Amino acid sequence: MPLSIRSLTKHVNMAACKTENGSERKLEFFLKVPFPSEREATIALQSLSPDPEPRKGGITKNLDLSGQTLSVRWTADEARILRVSVSSFLDHLSLVMETMDAFGPPVSQ
Amino acid sequence: MPVVIGFEGSANKIGVGIIRDGEVLSNPRRTYITPPGQGFLPGETAKHHRGVILTVLQEALDEAGLKAADIDCVAYTKGPGMGAPLVTVAIVARTVAQLWGKPLLGVNHCIGHIEMGRLITNAQNPTVLYVSGGNTQVIAYSERRYRIFGETIDIAVGNCLDRLARVIKISNDPSPGYNIEQMAKKGNKYIELPYTVKGMDVSFSGILSYIEETLFAMLVEITERAMAHCGSQEVLIVGGVGCNLRLQEMMGVMCKERGARLFATDERFCIDNGVMIAQAGWEMFRSGHVTELSDSWITQRYRTDEVEVTWRD
Repeated sequence: MPLSIRSLTKHVNMAACKTENGSERKLEFFLKVPFPSEREATIALQSLSPDPEPRKGGITKNLDLSGQTLSVRWTADEARILRVSVSSFLDHLSLVMETMDAFGPPVSQ
Repeated sequence: MPVVIGFEGSANKIGVGIIRDGEVLSNPRRTYITPPGQGFLPGETAKHHRGVILTVLQEALDEAGLKAADIDCVAYTKGPGMGAPLVTVAIVARTVAQLWGKPLLGVNHCIGHIEMGRLITNAQNPTVLYVSGGNTQVIAYSERRYRIFGETIDIAVGNCLDRLARVIKISNDPSPGYNIEQMAKKGNKYIELPYTVKGMDVSFSGILSYIEETLFAMLVEITERAMAHCGSQEVLIVGGVGCNLRLQEMMGVMCKERGARLFATDERFCIDNGVMIAQAGWEMFRSGHVTELSDSWITQRYRTDEVEVTWRD
């Protein structure tokens, strides 16, 4: 079944809220992306995790895998910084999915 | 007979190339061209590459007449270059490497140029002048490293020419440097301007009214100095600015005076392209290099002499 960013947004949970983190108030953003198989979720994780965030300070991003679901958690000091990072990530995620559509499915291991 | 596919997109060119034992099977490329007076910015460049990379990848496979199963290794540019475009290309390379179950190889962009130049010209052990929009280095191979003998202490010579083109609003199609060269051919007035060579190095910033003669003469001087140090009888010019025939001519004059040979490649291979990454990847793959996914991060700074060149004696 081909993946597309449109069909996945139905299943994607996004939440942005301010929470207390010690003495600082940081913004948090959660993203959950289901994949058709654990293998494809793993491929996405390994393609999207190696590069460092271009902006050194003011933002953290953590990727995690749970079965077929890739989850991403951001914390940021400012909404502007958060927007740039999330937007960038969604572009890259989209690219991974298009690549999987065009050149997948993964070969059997 | 390993077959290596290479992905390159560190500046405004996006290319995917396939090589098999020194034979170029395909090397399609697209260039992001901005309107006159405008340079290319990382975000827009990355967006351009995202839009075409999968098409170019399919083209590379189709032109080579190959399927994914025929590829033995996926090479991509680890750096140096612009961050956003580098990430875009690395992401696709990592994804297809995993989809196809093939090993991944992160390649130094400058070494890609060098290895392609060596393959195409068959120069044995040349002093290398690497000149492009992003890089200006004089390089000689010694004991498993491409040693940087001299370089720009500020901006690359191609960057200087690109900025000149921007100021006087020369078209960026097919490249600003090409259009400067065509205009310079029709010129006949030489204006003496400051000539900045500092030992092995050069400086280009702040003096953006330089014309070709002065810039290129400076490069010829530092190349000659490196040749004298190494006792070298060969010069290889690589990088986009290497397409410039006047540079080749001036270097040729110096080489003739020294009884040395000059090597250069044409625009297919001087200008950034995918198969040069595949070729460097091929050399690296054969000598046992592989890049683990967790180590496959891209980097905007990546010096030519950071890589251990295990494939040469």
